[in-house]
Amino acid sequence: MKPCITRIGTCALWLTLAVLPAAALAHHSYAMFDLSKTVTLQGTIRDFQWTNPHSWIWIDVPGADGKPAQWGIEGMSPNYLARRGWSKHTLNPGDKVSVVIHPLKGADHGGSFLSVTLADGTVMRQSGGPPPSSGPAPNP
Amino acid sequence: MFQKPVRRIRWVTAVSLLAIGAAATGAVAQSPAPATPDLGGVWEVTMGVRTRPGPGAPEQPSLTPEYAQKLADFKAAQAKGEDEESPQANCVPPGMPGIMNQPYPIELLFTPGKVTIVIEAYSQTRRIFLDGRKHPDDPDLTYNGHSIGHWAGDTLVVDSVGFTPDTALGPGQGYRHSDQMHIVERLRLTDPDTLEVVTTVDDAKALTKPFSGTKVLKRHRDWDIAEYICEQNNRNLATDKGKAGIILNH
Repeated sequence: MKPCITRIGTCALWLTLAVLPAAALAHHSYAMFDLSKTVTLQGTIRDFQWTNPHSWIWIDVPGADGKPAQWGIEGMSPNYLARRGWSKHTLNPGDKVSVVIHPLKGADHGGSFLSVTLADGTVMRQSGGPPPSSGPAPNP
Repeated sequence: MFQKPVRRIRWVTAVSLLAIGAAATGAVAQSPAPATPDLGGVWEVTMGVRTRPGPGAPEQPSLTPEYAQKLADFKAAQAKGEDEESPQANCVPPGMPGIMNQPYPIELLFTPGKVTIVIEAYSQTRRIFLDGRKHPDDPDLTYNGHSIGHWAGDTLVVDSVGFTPDTALGPGQGYRHSDQMHIVERLRLTDPDTLEVVTTVDDAKALTKPFSGTKVLKRHRDWDIAEYICEQNNRNLATDKGKAGIILNH
């Protein structure tokens, strides 16, 4: 498989398509993710955890040395995704996919899900919602 | 000619007996209660189309000096890299009013004298008593409070007190409330499947004046509430300093 990580810049199209799920803020902050970076991972699905409070995509991504590295990608919960065209079968072990994420700050192999392109070219996103508000105002 | 009066007498007698029977069982005949709007079913907060009353910038809570200091302390801690995460990352529910503003739907169930709100996020439940009871004089302090309600025309008015100050006033953890927080929610259909909820919060200790917000919910007649066990596979965490963490072991 070709180089796995494409830095922001060649991902302009993805950026225009990617919509950060404001909804995900309900459970936790985005402080651990680097929202200024968008990364595309190309690899093979190892596992797709259809669980609360988040779905997790585990993907083996070939590194520069050819050895696969496992990445963990956090997505919205099954409750949210199932109402938007996803199922537990959307991703399956062995699937060759391309996943767009905001990576974790630091060197750990994790990120926040933005979209995935399946082997047949289908693009799945999780939210049609707006970007999260940066303001602290409570909304009762 | 002769038969008609007899028939009428029999009819009147039958009605009288029915009325006596009804009275004896407590079901005194009375005019039917005015119909109230059907607010039952599964509703989703429509993220992105929330509105707030009045023109201009969103209304901000007006904090008392004591609670303004709490907010300032919070911001100072954040500037040091602390308090970047909320207890919700550890699966602690947000309590009111935040629990009514989640990306997951709620279900309103109407039974005699009570509205039950089943909240998918964090598997929460609110009970709103419409049976005429009052709030307890000295309520236990809880995340979702003690709620009583009544109909004012086509609007369901829900009045809630008894909140633990363990929870925040809003998504931002810096805005705190006291045990005096008092919330009034006014729920009204604006079209058959659109629910407007105007929420007004006052708090004699924390706020110098009430503040309110309006949100819009859409009814999904084909949705059911799903299971949400936050502890199932929660890989997020907040440290004791509120630092955000994530667990990548798999």
